[in-house]
Amino acid sequence: MAYLISKENIKVLLDALLAVKEVYAPKKDAEETVLFGKLAGSSEWHGDSLLTHTTAKDKVYLQSERFFNIKKDKDGVRIEEAEEPEEIVIFGCRPCDARGFDILNKLFNWNNYVDEYYTKRMEKTTIVSISCLKPESTCFCTSFAKGSPVDATGSDVLLTPLKNGSYLAETFTEKGKGLISNNSKLFAEAAEVDTKEKELFKTEAEAKIVKKIDLAAVKKLMEPAFESAYWDTVHLPCVKCGACTFVCPTCYCFDITEKAFDNINSERVRSWDTCMNELFTRMAGGVNPRTDTKKRFRQRFMHKFNYHVDNFKEELCTGCGRCIKACPVSIDVRKVIEGVK
Amino acid sequence: MSNIYKPHIAKVMDIKVETGDIKSFKFQFVDQAAQKVFTWKSGQFLILNIFGVGEAVFTFANPQTRNEFIECSIRKVGLASEAAHELEVGDTVGIRGPYGNWFPFEKWHGKNLLYVAGGVGLAALRSPIEFSLDNKKDFKNITILYGARSPMDLCYKDKFSDWEQVKDTNMILTADKGAEGWKHKVGFVPAVLKEVHPSPKDTVAIICGPPIMIKFVLKELLDLGFTPEQIITTLEMRMKCGLGKCGRCNVKHLYICKDGPVFSYAELKDLPEEY
Ligand code: SF4
Ligand code: FES
Repeated sequence: MAYLISKENIKVLLDALLAVKEVYAPKKDAEETVLFGKLAGSSEWHGDSLLTHTTAKDKVYLQSERFFNIKKDKDGVRIEEAEEPEEIVIFGCRPCDARGFDILNKLFNWNNYVDEYYTKRMEKTTIVSISCLKPESTCFCTSFAKGSPVDATGSDVLLTPLKNGSYLAETFTEKGKGLISNNSKLFAEAAEVDTKEKELFKTEAEAKIVKKIDLAAVKKLMEPAFESAYWDTVHLPCVKCGACTFVCPTCYCFDITEKAFDNINSERVRSWDTCMNELFTRMAGGVNPRTDTKKRFRQRFMHKFNYHVDNFKEELCTGCGRCIKACPVSIDVRKVIEGVK
Repeated sequence: MSNIYKPHIAKVMDIKVETGDIKSFKFQFVDQAAQKVFTWKSGQFLILNIFGVGEAVFTFANPQTRNEFIECSIRKVGLASEAAHELEVGDTVGIRGPYGNWFPFEKWHGKNLLYVAGGVGLAALRSPIEFSLDNKKDFKNITILYGARSPMDLCYKDKFSDWEQVKDTNMILTADKGAEGWKHKVGFVPAVLKEVHPSPKDTVAIICGPPIMIKFVLKELLDLGFTPEQIITTLEMRMKCGLGKCGRCNVKHLYICKDGPVFSYAELKDLPEEY
């Protein structure tokens, strides 16, 4: 079912939402960087920029998350589990970020093991995405099977801006329907011309993304290329900062550590990790299967465009292009994977 | 929904010093009902929680057929294992698991089993060895070739005589360097293997030990006519989750914690040597 919401009502909607839930939307931080932040009022919403510097990933998959508290004293050991997560709304992320969540959902439910920290939080999260009118030069979402500036994968609601200033609002899940029915006064029913306009929007927006990569061909190139001399040189500019994995909507690798406060209290923590870090695979005793940058660099690209495809039938990438912008030495994922030989 | 990261609370019931840097532990869940229904298969591993320090991965040292306790042999190599060596009987730990795949014994009925282990590698093979001894009727001859740097470095010395008493079971011990009173072989495991010259006919070779030993044992086995399918080993990788989620234990698209740790050489030789 499709609806319409006017530009003015979007702000009213935001204020209505944040009266009952936490709402995370693009907003400027103290340094004027646009990030997903908790809105205090609709005026803080900065809807103009295409991509936030980092993704909204950390709102569901926390950068650092306490699994539980541990109390160890003369009565034994007690494990106190974390509080239940709050309901939140992620407002105004882009289709590539929403699809990133869809990819993470599968990983955290993979192999019959449900990661309940992520899953519970995701159950309480409503994702409202906005179609992209002006893709940037770093965008390459259309290279992916589902990717598009109007793709709804992972979104509960997708808003598409129309020429008259209002938005076409489509719902894809019960959560999405709930969001609209709870605020039904702000929405009108969309007419056929509006959904038709979205088709035009799609054609126009997709045409702006000039770079299209044949990912099936890339996978084929990668299969036999593990030992290829290509990796000997392509990694050389990399300074191992890990910025690429940090800004990625799909990078999920994590570490589990324990932090002791004293002899009695400690906490088990999960935190984002990066395959670009040397310690990532180093075993107790010092043996490390991925000792140098070449191996770690190869792992990052092979994982995203080869191994993950074997396991999940889709790439571990959505084409948002953030890693291209974040890399201090301008390593471009598109060039790296297309150049594999 | 149960929390996959939450360990069972367990107590240290017994500690035995095996060698200078290896100790064997017996654990039991505080919740006895949970202990009763807890099952694992030889080859699988667990994640031990030393509260206040962290988690570390160890294989089950005992088989399901001897499941009064959960046993692990731990070599002192890292933070968590050092903390484990500080444990005393009665201390509380956490255990989660079991994880990973296992030795496919059901496929090996009617075959000879040849175990080849070096050093602490026997810790990973004790569970399958005892499982096959406890189900000896399903197998033909069982040969255990085990070596270490010196007689002092052999684990499970107290178990050898029990193992040998099982019908059609043969134990061959070796030390790289002998010592006074040492009545067994002297020499590296691969060399002794060559000398023993086991026939590959109807035999599965199960090997575990330091990488360099594995390399030469593999060569000997292939020379003896074993096919890659007949050679089984278990891999070690840095692991955190044990569940195929934390993303660090992969070789290609395989996760050692989920698709391993048990592999045949036939599977391994097609993988890049990134382990
Ligand atoms: S952002 Fe660039 S330099 Fe930093 S680790 Fe990634 S590829 Fe290497
Ligand atoms: S240990 Fe986490 S993926 Fe294997």
